[in-house]
Amino acid sequence: MTTPSLKISFRGTEFTLTVLAVLAFVVLALTTHGSVLHGDTLTAIFQFLAVPMVIGLAQMAVLGVGQMNLSVGVVTGFCAMVTAWLMVDVGLPAWLALLAGLATGAAIGLVNGLIVVLTRINGFIVTLATMTIIDGLRYGVHGTATYQGYSPGLVRLGQGSVLGVPTVFLFAVLVAIAVAVFFRHVTVGRQLLASGGNPLAARLSGVSNDRSLVLAHLLSGLLAGVAGVIVVALSGSVNATIGDDLLLPSFAAPIIGGVALAGGVISVVGTCLAALIVRLVDVAQAQYSINPDWVDLIVGAVVLGAVLITQLRGRAAT
Amino acid sequence: MRRRIWADPRLGLLVVIVVLVAVFTALRPAFLDVDLTIVPIQSDLTVFVVVGLAQLAVLSLGHMNLAVGRMAAVSAFAAGWAYDKLAVPLVVGLLIGLAVGALVGAAAGWTIAATGVNSFVVTLALDFALIGLVSLLYSTFSDGVAFHVAPAGMDILRGDTFADYCAGDLCGPPIPLVVPIALVAALAVGVFFRNSRLGREILMTGSNLQAARLSGIPTSRRIIQAHTLSGLLAALAGFLLAVTNGAFSADIGGSFLLPSFLGPVLGGTLLAGGAVSVLGTVFGAALTEVIQTGLNLLQFEVEKFKIYIGIVLLVALSLDRLRQVLAERRKQEVPRVPEPVEQKEGVA
Repeated sequence: MTTPSLKISFRGTEFTLTVLAVLAFVVLALTTHGSVLHGDTLTAIFQFLAVPMVIGLAQMAVLGVGQMNLSVGVVTGFCAMVTAWLMVDVGLPAWLALLAGLATGAAIGLVNGLIVVLTRINGFIVTLATMTIIDGLRYGVHGTATYQGYSPGLVRLGQGSVLGVPTVFLFAVLVAIAVAVFFRHVTVGRQLLASGGNPLAARLSGVSNDRSLVLAHLLSGLLAGVAGVIVVALSGSVNATIGDDLLLPSFAAPIIGGVALAGGVISVVGTCLAALIVRLVDVAQAQYSINPDWVDLIVGAVVLGAVLITQLRGRAAT
Repeated sequence: MRRRIWADPRLGLLVVIVVLVAVFTALRPAFLDVDLTIVPIQSDLTVFVVVGLAQLAVLSLGHMNLAVGRMAAVSAFAAGWAYDKLAVPLVVGLLIGLAVGALVGAAAGWTIAATGVNSFVVTLALDFALIGLVSLLYSTFSDGVAFHVAPAGMDILRGDTFADYCAGDLCGPPIPLVVPIALVAALAVGVFFRNSRLGREILMTGSNLQAARLSGIPTSRRIIQAHTLSGLLAALAGFLLAVTNGAFSADIGGSFLLPSFLGPVLGGTLLAGGAVSVLGTVFGAALTEVIQTGLNLLQFEVEKFKIYIGIVLLVALSLDRLRQVLAERRKQEVPRVPEPVEQKEGVA
C-alpha cells in the first residue's frame, strides 16, 4: 500500500510544490545575501507558518466533502478571543481555556454541519450566514479592546522552540500528521472522502453522507479553533481583528496544494507545502519591500490558475 | 389557489416589512423622518436592489457570483479613472464602468462554460485576484485610495431628491434622483427574464442543463450571457454606491457579498436555479435595509447588527427549505386521491 502512494507523491503536485518551495527559498537566500537564513528571520518564517497551515487544513477538511467553509477566519478569531477571555476575565487555567477554545471551534463546526444537513442548503451560503453571525459575536467578546498579559507560561511556550524549531510550528506539523492519519487510516475519514468523491456510490456502499458532511464541518471548525489557540499562544495579545485576513490563505493552501474542489481528494502534504510557498511570497514582499497588494494579486491569480489547471488535467486524465 | 398566495414569500416579506416599520416607528418616531431616514434608506436601497439583481442574474442559472463586490470595484475604478484622467461626462464614465463590469462578468462566464469548473470556485478565485488588483490599481493611478472627482451632474445625482424640483407650488416627492435608475434596472431585468426569449432560455438552462441543451439552446453562450449581465449590474451597483459616497474608492463593493444573496434569497429566488423573483429581490433588499436602519436608530452596534442579519438569512433559508419540502409532500399527496380515476396521470 505504501509503495504506490509514495510513487504518486513524487510525481504529482506535492513533488512540484517541494521543488518550488526549495527553489523559492534558495532564490530568497541568495538575493537577500542570506538574511532569510539568519536565526531570527528563519524562526519567524516558521512561527507564522503555523496558522496558515492549520487554517488551510481546516478548509481542506470541508473541501474533501465538496463543501466550503467561509467562516474559518472569523471562527479562528472568535476562538482566540474566547480563549483569552476565559483566561483573563474568568480566570481559568491556561490548559482549560485552550481546551474550551478548541471546543468552541468544534461546536461552531458542528452547528454549521447540522444546518447544512438539515436544511440541504449549499454549505457556502450557510457558512456565509454563520460567518456574519460569528463576525458579530467576535466583537461581542471584548469589543475592539485587546486582551494581553494572560498566562506568561503559555506565551513562553508559544514563542519558544524545541531544538531550534518553533513550538507552534511543531504543533502545526503534529496537527497535520493527525489530519493525514485521520483521512488515510481512520474508517470515518475514508468514508468522508468517499462521500465527497461520489455521494451516490458512497450511499450505496452504506456510508451516511449526512454524517460525513457534519463530520467534515466539525473537523473544519475544530481546526479553526486550533488555529485560534495557536494565535493566542504565539502573539501574547489578541483582539477581534484576528482572522480578518485568513480567508484567502485558507483557500489558497488547499487549492494550490491540489485538493479537488469537487470533493473526494485531499492532500495534507500539498496543503502544507502550498502554505509554505504563500508564506515565502509574504517574506519576499517584506524583504524586497514590495507593495503588499501584489501579494494578494499574485496569490489570487495563482489560485485561479491552479483551479483551471487542476480541472484541465482532470479532464485530460479521464 | 388561496394556499399559493398565502405561501408566496413576497407577501410574507411585505407583511414583515410593514410590521417592522410600525415597530421601529413606535420605538423611535425619527424612523419616519424624511431627511434623517426616508431619503438615506432609499439611496442605500437603490444600491442593494441592484446588487441583489446582479446576484439574481446568475442565480437564474443555479450559479453564484462571489466576485460581485470586486466586479463593482473594478468597474468603479474604471469609471473614476475616466472622470479623473479623461474628464469625460457623467454618462460616458458610467458606460465605461458598465462595459468593464460586463467584460469581467463575461470572462468569468466564459471560464465557467469552457472549463466546467463550479461557478463559485471560479468567481471566488477571481474575487481573490481582483482584491489585489483593485488596491494595486488605486495605489498606482490615484492619489492613494480614491478618485475624488465630481463630473457635472454627480453632486446633483447624489444630493437631490425630486422634492427639490418644483413647478410652481407643486414639488416632487422626497425620492432621491438615483432611485429611478434602480427601478429601471429592476424592470428591465424582470422583463428580460419574463418576456424575452434569451431570458427564458437562461432560466431553462438553469432549471435543467441537459434538457436545455437537447432542446437546442446554446447553453454555454447562455451561461456567458447571464454572467455578463451579472457583471453589468454589479458595475451599475458600484457606480451608484460611488455616487452616493461621493468618491470612487477601493473599498467599494467590499460589503456587497452578503446583501447580494440576502435580497434574492429572502425574495424567494431559488439557489438551485431556474426561477427568479425580481419583485421579491426588491422586497428582500427593503427588509434588510429596514432592519439595518431600525437597529441603527435603536443604537445597536454594527457588530450586533451583523448577528441579526446572519440569523435572518439562516431563518429565511430554512423557511425556504421548509416550503420546498411542503411543496414536494403536497405534490406526492395529490395523485394519491384521484388514483383510481386518473391512472394515466399517475403513470406519467
